[in-house]
This record gives sequence, structure tokens and C-alpha cells, in this order.
Amino acid sequence: MTRALGREAVIGLALAAVAGFFAFQSPEFLGARNLSMLAIELSVTAVLALGMFLIILTGQIDLSAGSGVGLIGGIASVLVFHQHWPAPAALAAAFAAAVLIWLVMGALVVRERMPSFIVTLGGLLIFKGVFWLVIRSATVPVAPGGTQNVYSRLTTYYLPPWLGLAAAAAGAIAWAWARFSAESRRREHGFEAESRELTFLKVFLVSQAAFLFVLIMNRFRGVPLPAVTLAAVTFGVSMLTKRTPFGRYLYAIGGNTEAAVVSGIPVERVVIAAYGLMGAIVAITGFMQTAYGGASTTTVGELMELDAVAACVIGGTSLRGGRGTAAGVLMGALIMAVLLNGMTLLAVSPEFKLIARGVVLTLSVWLDSSRSA
Amino acid sequence: MAPVLRAKRITKRFPGVVALSDVSFDLEPGEIHSICGENGAGKSTLIKLLSGIHPHGGYEGALEVDGREARFASTADAEAAGIAVIYQELALVPEMTSAENIFLGAEPVRGGLIDHDAMLKGARELLDRFGLKLDPNVRTGDLGVGQQQLLEILKALRKESRVLILDEPTAALAEHEVGLLLDILRDLKRRGIACVYISHKLDEVFAISDRITVLRDGSTVGTWDAKAASKAEVIRHMVGREIKDFFPRRAKTPGEPRLRTEGLTVAAPDGRVLVRDVGFEVRAGEVLGIGGLLGAGRSELLLHLAGVWGERTKGRVLLDGKPLEAGRPWETIGRGLVLVTEDRRRWGLFAEQGVGFNLSLSSLKGLLIDEDAELSANREMSAALKVKAASLETPVGGLSGGNQQKVVIGRALGTDPKVVLLDEPTRGIDVGAKLEVYEIVNRLTDAGKAVVLVSSELPELLGMSDRIVMLHEGAVGGTFDRGAAQEALLAAAMGAA
Repeated sequence: MTRALGREAVIGLALAAVAGFFAFQSPEFLGARNLSMLAIELSVTAVLALGMFLIILTGQIDLSAGSGVGLIGGIASVLVFHQHWPAPAALAAAFAAAVLIWLVMGALVVRERMPSFIVTLGGLLIFKGVFWLVIRSATVPVAPGGTQNVYSRLTTYYLPPWLGLAAAAAGAIAWAWARFSAESRRREHGFEAESRELTFLKVFLVSQAAFLFVLIMNRFRGVPLPAVTLAAVTFGVSMLTKRTPFGRYLYAIGGNTEAAVVSGIPVERVVIAAYGLMGAIVAITGFMQTAYGGASTTTVGELMELDAVAACVIGGTSLRGGRGTAAGVLMGALIMAVLLNGMTLLAVSPEFKLIARGVVLTLSVWLDSSRSA
Repeated sequence: MAPVLRAKRITKRFPGVVALSDVSFDLEPGEIHSICGENGAGKSTLIKLLSGIHPHGGYEGALEVDGREARFASTADAEAAGIAVIYQELALVPEMTSAENIFLGAEPVRGGLIDHDAMLKGARELLDRFGLKLDPNVRTGDLGVGQQQLLEILKALRKESRVLILDEPTAALAEHEVGLLLDILRDLKRRGIACVYISHKLDEVFAISDRITVLRDGSTVGTWDAKAASKAEVIRHMVGREIKDFFPRRAKTPGEPRLRTEGLTVAAPDGRVLVRDVGFEVRAGEVLGIGGLLGAGRSELLLHLAGVWGERTKGRVLLDGKPLEAGRPWETIGRGLVLVTEDRRRWGLFAEQGVGFNLSLSSLKGLLIDEDAELSANREMSAALKVKAASLETPVGGLSGGNQQKVVIGRALGTDPKVVLLDEPTRGIDVGAKLEVYEIVNRLTDAGKAVVLVSSELPELLGMSDRIVMLHEGAVGGTFDRGAAQEALLAAAMGAA
């Protein structure tokens, strides 16, 4: 427990240091406009990282996620722009395709016993090639010139200020209730529970942060829709991993696959299902990332899988599987998003951006392996 | 002439256990000297001492080579003194040729590159010297197990070894390969190479040995001339002890048949048949003991029944009179058959996770976990089994062996089973925890559950079972009642019944 707190403190300090550096270097960094953009970028990175988290929990990996983000967004773009499908139908079709493709990859990993590293590395190349074929290596807008549709609004819709505040209030109340009832239940069952004061302090601080976030967002255009999507995905993944048998099985499989088999867990089905969920999350990320750029272009999604892996590992997820939390992944994604956003603001050249991403990825994995050793 | 290898009054302690106590053993030049003993008698520890795996300084007593004290700091020192060990599990690289394997780690080099010609020539010379028909160019993985075993021996001889230690060398060999191996050992003997031979198969031991030393519970029982001793005598010495009133078995009248196997034959993924034509029945309220030597197929049988291992090539399994499919562990548990595995770390524990996670994993139900119900069930189970842990959130990896075992048993019992398979449930746990496990077995049968208990310890098997099946090389070697003699069980396990 103390070690987990220590880790959270380290992540917090690292985040403060990185953010402080960018704020100092570029006054725009803390501007409402940039923070609004940062919120959208964080949402995209974090949603994908939360999907990657489910895969890594089982001890597997998905290197095809970034290519998939481009491909699934591209399929939707082409259906809307070239085939003139209504946007909801196009999104639904691309979403279904993603889930199907990821289920197949999951089946290859568990039924054919192929290393997930290789299956998804193959996926990375294949999806990229298919993506370029689908968009004919051209730029395909998410909505016909000058118009708006559901697809484009995924990242251009902002909650009205009152709705943002109401949502923050509702979220804070629900969360406070959940925390207090969880702690009192722990006390009832004789577990070590934190003091009511500490719980109150935590709830207070997080609610304050939520209101501050909404107020800052309202100074620009309001809370962007991707932030709502992220909140929903975080809630979903958090419930899934903490409160469902399926989530327990993910931890069990990653912790000790053989013991999981003996314990009567249908290991193959669970891992395939995790890949299916990853497909759904790749689709959501693909729609948001493509809409954020306004169009499918050949580079959409590039290297996003590595940012997602880095976010997981920074957030305390073990690459060996069986360990990690959704909250940690969210923190890791925040560091990655701040880093990428800040470097863009400072007009860091692409060369150095690549090097910085590589260094962060390597450092985070080194932290992971030195922790498990 | 001084013995080529001698262990003088060796005592080796591990934390909490004395593995060897005042053991003496000597090996004359050109002699074949067998070591016999039950599982856990101290044979492996002795080999590890002789081969430098347990280095000098970690034991009391002395090792001598050619009459001079030897202090092995590592296996390399033992090798330099001419001692080579050939383990049951082969250490060959299947993708390399025979010649490459023989010279692995000592490749002849010319100009910085491997000299393949010299290697081939060296391999041929060795093969000719021992009259072996083996192509040094063939891929090792394509050789039979017996030929691979010979290759291991050649590897040892290449190092100019004077002492060969063979640990269960025939466990994986077919009949004719065993004959070939024994012929080669006799040939080596003529060339003055001495041999320490460890085998559970007494026929082989008597066919090849000059002398036989029996170990029991870490001590030397005695050394006999093979020609003067009889098999029955050696078995008696191996067993030796009396059954003490240590096993609180409360037998009761058995009820309905629960689990039944008929002609069950199971093959490993590599095709080897490890369980042959096994038939037995367990009734409600009854403990069926299953014994046998290492490699007799006991664990494989249990893993297969639980649906997690092996291909059923013949026969069938009935649970409550209805067929039980292989390979669907989650259904097997749902039908009321559950396994507590032998190797806790590998097959049982989620070491990083807490006691509660480990206890409830097999009995989670529904879409959302009812945390209150889960907590109370875990608390009840952990209290019933007397799990000693700071809290339900304490990671199980740090608990004692006995408490870990109770957690794994608790997970199995949480599924409310009708049949419980226990594989070596008391291995590696202290005496107090053993008694608690026996008490759990009693409570299970009191509650009308059927128990299958696998154990390597004959007293435990006799003390806790209502009936006993001894396995020998995957097949039933004999079925016994509670009052059977240990000698009879051991004879059945060794295929000498």
C-alpha cells in the first residue's frame, strides 16, 4: 500500500515537473485554448491506453492498435465521404469490423498459440497497408466540405457550460458516495480502512480538480465531448477490472496462466474477449483521432500503440501481466499527452519528438522490469 | 587403492530440514554402485553434493577424490575432477547435430571460427571408441530418447570423466534401449570408469550393480554386495519405519459412487502414453489413495481428470454416472470435481494477489461481483481452514507453505465440490499444517464428499486412505486395503508385485 502511494507520488511529481517545464517555456501551455486541446489529446491517448491495459493485464500485447486507429477511422471516412453513407451507419460498420478483426487476432493468439507480439506486429503492417489502400493514400475528410455530422462532432462538440458543471457535480457526488460506502464497508469487515478525514480530503481534492477542469474548459468552449467519452471508458474499464469476474480473470491469467486454467477459468475465451474489447476501443479511438484531424491521412494513428504501452507501464501496469489499475493508466496517459502536447507547442522537431518518445517508452519499461526483478 | 570418490559423514541442512544426516558413501575405481531410496530419502541432495551444485562449505563432513579432500566450489570444479552427472532430463539442444552437442561449450576453434572438421573427427573417434552406431551429423531432435541418452553419456566422456553419476537414466527409455544403456555401462566399467547409478527400477539395479547403498530419511541404512542381497531385503530397508499413530483418519461407510474411470488411457502432448488403462471408483465419504514412484503418472492422471492436461486416447470417466469430457476444466469444476495441484507455485497460486483473491477465484458468479458476499465467504473459509495471514489482502506469495496450501485447498472447496482431488497436499509443509490438512480430509468425507489423495509418502497413504491404488509406469500395479503392508505397496509401485 505504501509502495503504491510512493508510486503515485512519483508519477505526480514527474507530471508536475513536465507540466512546469512546459508552462515555463511556453506561456500558451496553460492557456484555456491549449488546455482544451490537451483534454482532447489526453482523451484519445488515454482511451487507447485503457484498452491496451486490458490486453497487457493478461500478459499479452497489441502492437497493431496504432495502425488499427488509422484503418478503422479510414473505413468510416471513406464510407461517409466516398460512399455517402449516413455517419452513424458508417461508424457502426467500422466499429463492428474492428471488433471482428480483434476477435480474430485474439483467436490466433490463444487457439493457434502464436505469440501476440508477432500476431499484432503482422497486424500493424497489414492494417497500415489496407488503410492506405482504403483511403487510396489520399486525404479523406470525415464530413463532406463545410458540413457537420456525428463523426466530425465527436471532437468538435462541447458541452454547454451549465451541463459541464452539472455533470461534474453529479460525478463528484456519485464518487464521494462510492468512496465513503466502500471505506465503511472495509471497516465493517475489519480491514484496514483510511480515516474518514483522509477519505474526505481525497474526495474534496478530486471534486475540486473536476470543477476546476470544467471551469477552465468553460472559459474556452466548454467540456469537449472526448473528455466525456474518456470518463465513460474509464468508468467502464474500472468497473470491469475491479468488480466483475471477467476482470478478476484478466488479473489471474496474467498472474499465473496455468493456475488460472486449473481454477476453472475459460482462459482462451477470456483472452479472446479482451481482444474484442480492444477492437471496440481501437474503433472509438480511431473515430476520435480521425475527427480531431478532420480527415483520414496516411499518418493517422502512427506510433499510438507505443504511447499506449508507455502510458500503461508508467501507470504501474506490469508487462508480465497480472498487475495494474485503470487509475494508474490514466495518470500514465496524462504524462504522455502533456509531453506530446508540450513538444508540439515548443515546435520540437519531429526527429527529437521521436527520440523523446523512445526514451520515455524505454525508461518506463526499465522501471517496470527493475520493479519486478 | 583409494576410492575414486568418497563422501565421509556428510550432513546437509536446509532451513528447517536435515536433508542428509551423517551419510557415508564410497565408489571404487571401475565399480557400479547403486543408491536406492524412497522419494525424499536424500538421493538428489547427495548427487548435488557430489557434483558441486551444493558447494563446499554448505555441509558438514568431507568429499574425497582419490583419497584427497576435494572442495568443489561449483560444478566446474567437479567436472575438472572427472565427475560428470547425467540427469533424468536431457540437456541437449535438439536443433544441433550430435557432434555439435557433444562439443557444446568446448568447440574446437581455428582462427576464431568453429573447426567443424575437427569436431566431426573428434565425435567419430568417441563413437568408435565405444562402438556406437550414431551419425554425428544427424539433428539431435531426430534421435530417439535412448540415443539422446547415449549422446549425453558421450558428452560426459568427451570431458575425460572418470566418474559418471546417472540419475534415473532409464526413466524415459524403452526396453531395448535400457539393455543397450546397461551394456555400455558394463563396457565403461571394463575401461575403469566408475558409475553411481540411481534408479527406482530394482531389476536394473540388481542387473548392473556391484554394490547397493540404501538411504532412508536422509541417513545411510547400509551398503550391501549386490550378489548377496535380495530385492525384498532392499525394499524392506528402503521402507524401514513403522507407521506411527499420526494419521487421524475417521473412516465411515461409503455412500454412492461418485467418480469412476474405465480403461482410462492418456497421452502427453508429445504422444507419450503416461496413463494406461486405469480403472477405479471412489464413493461418497471415501478416500482413495493413489501411490507410485516419481513418473508413475499420478499427477498426470489427476490433471487429466480435472480437464487441464493430456489427450484421452481410450477409456472414459464418469462423474455421478454421467460421462465427463476431457479438456473443459470450467465445466468439470461446475459439475463438482475440483483439483488441488501438487506444484502450488506453478499450478495453484497467484502469488502477487491477496488471500481473498486466491480464495474466491473459482467461485465468482454473475455479472458483477457481490463484494459483501465474497468477503464473508472468504472470511468463513479462511477461518475454517485456519489460514494464518495478516488480512485477506496479504499477498499469498509471502505466506508459509502450509498456509499457501490451505489457500489453494480453500479455493477448491469454495466451489462446493462433490469430488476433491488432492495431489501431494502435505508436500513441503510442516507437521502441524500436515495434521490440519488431514483434518480437512476428514471433514470432507464427513460431509459426504469423495476424496482422491495422491501421496509419495507410503505411511501417509496407508494412514489416510480407505483404499489404495498403486500406479506403476502409468498402469495400476495393485489395489490394496487400508491394512496393507508398505512392502507390498512398494513392490506394486516397482512393478514387482
